[in-house]
Amino acid sequence: MALEQSDDDIFLDSPTSKQHRFFPSSPKALPMKRNQDSSCDTVSPLTRQMKSSSFSTQEYGDHERHTSLRRRPSVLDEKALREADTKLVRDQRIQAITRSYQVVLESIGEDPTRQGLLKTPKRAAEALVFFTKGYEQTIRDVVSDAIFDEDCENMVVVKEIDIYSLCEHHMVPFFGKVSVGYLPNKRVLGLSKIARIVEVFSRRLQVQERLTRQIAEAIAEAIEPRGVAVIVECLHMCMIMRGAQKVNSRTTTSAMLGVFREDPKTREEFLTLGRINPF
Amino acid sequence: MSATEQCVTTIQKEKQLATLSPNGHTENGHNDTEDDTAFTVGTTNDNCRRTSMRDRRSSVYDDNALREKDTDSIHNDRLKSMTSFYKDILISVGEDPSREGLLKTPKRAAEAMLFFTKGYEQCIGDVVNDAIFEEDCEDMVIVKDIDIFSLCEHHLVPFFGKVAVGYLPKKKVIGLSKIARIVEVYSRRLQVQERLTRQIAEAIQEAVEPRGVAVIVECVHMCMVMRGAQKVNSRTTTSSMIGVFRDEHKTREEFLSLAKI
Repeated sequence: MALEQSDDDIFLDSPTSKQHRFFPSSPKALPMKRNQDSSCDTVSPLTRQMKSSSFSTQEYGDHERHTSLRRRPSVLDEKALREADTKLVRDQRIQAITRSYQVVLESIGEDPTRQGLLKTPKRAAEALVFFTKGYEQTIRDVVSDAIFDEDCENMVVVKEIDIYSLCEHHMVPFFGKVSVGYLPNKRVLGLSKIARIVEVFSRRLQVQERLTRQIAEAIAEAIEPRGVAVIVECLHMCMIMRGAQKVNSRTTTSAMLGVFREDPKTREEFLTLGRINPF
Repeated sequence: MSATEQCVTTIQKEKQLATLSPNGHTENGHNDTEDDTAFTVGTTNDNCRRTSMRDRRSSVYDDNALREKDTDSIHNDRLKSMTSFYKDILISVGEDPSREGLLKTPKRAAEAMLFFTKGYEQCIGDVVNDAIFEEDCEDMVIVKDIDIFSLCEHHLVPFFGKVAVGYLPKKKVIGLSKIARIVEVYSRRLQVQERLTRQIAEAIQEAVEPRGVAVIVECVHMCMVMRGAQKVNSRTTTSSMIGVFRDEHKTREEFLSLAKI
């Protein structure tokens, strides 16, 4: 416990972080619970506490931020919930979900024996397992040593990567585009690995804010660049098809780490290069 | 689980008590042999009286709405059973349903699913609600860019897009918002795009009896975009042309250019 406390103190005592507590948008103003809400997190309470003491990457401004990520648990090595699945386990999952969907069909009033719906429970189960296939891979597997030494010091931007995810609150899809940029520090990442990292995190039950942060942290940890920036712009079916029913609204979240957070000009350059066009 | 099974059994029992038969006549204890003749296929009854189009197939107005007779308690039973099975789904997917973000997810997902299928709660008669007016209009009426959100009945994944509806009235017009409501009732169900298109056209045809009806539906299917073939930009268009829209290509052309999907 003392260790966690000291970790907290290191952050809390620094002059800049003290300022954050007064900003209403600061995550520190919210209970620690929010930051403990990490997906597929089977790590110990110790590491969870470490994570909660780390900054949410939503804010950026002129105040300085501690950009070291060493205190928090490794994103690369985070356990994947279904990583150990054998084929048998996977089949059992699909069978269980199929049975559940059969009841769902009956509960909505439909007749599961009519021709169009005969195999729907199984198809829906397989679809759901596909939509959550991000649980089957760890980032380390995805990145897979595609890290190269390169004398590149200029911004690398991979923009408008399509993503499809599931809202964890309603289990309804949300989809859109992601733009990722980073300033390398002698090491670059294979470009398709960036897209694969995005894919692994998005094919889960997600919250857009967390998705953004996870992508940024994964890249930061993989190649330790001077900074990482991620913008995610999505349409949420849970908001379009039901609830507020606002058809044209889109949600944008971003994560700025390192120089992207500290230097407004760098941030501006990324926002220009990685701009997501209306889709 | 037994409580849930009870919920499902209750729902099924209520269904049996309250449902209209698929053929469109109520099961209220007595079966009209004439009705049987008109509706059932393959009957051995010799009085095969067929007087009008309406008798050949069940009228859209008579189509039973699967959840029309739902009381609050039945609705809650449905919710309860779906909630518990969504929780099972979360566990089967590998997630932990007790983590903060997922605590109320089964209930929210169940309510969302019931909302996405709320088209089962209304029948066309109620939706149209006698908003049919005598009007001396003989030119094409088009309502276009109606957003629709439906659920693919094969994968339970949303598909969404736009609908354009046009008709050539013959002395009777329908309230414009009723067209959008008809679209909404049919789309908020487990659907196949082809059937959805046809149902919208037939409903308007029956309500207003115009010289012709045309419906075009253009949708993006998440089941094809998010999984399977994974073709991100593809859209599916279906259409249904009845009456003069089918017979005369100039009329059809006019509709297609005005609807401009």
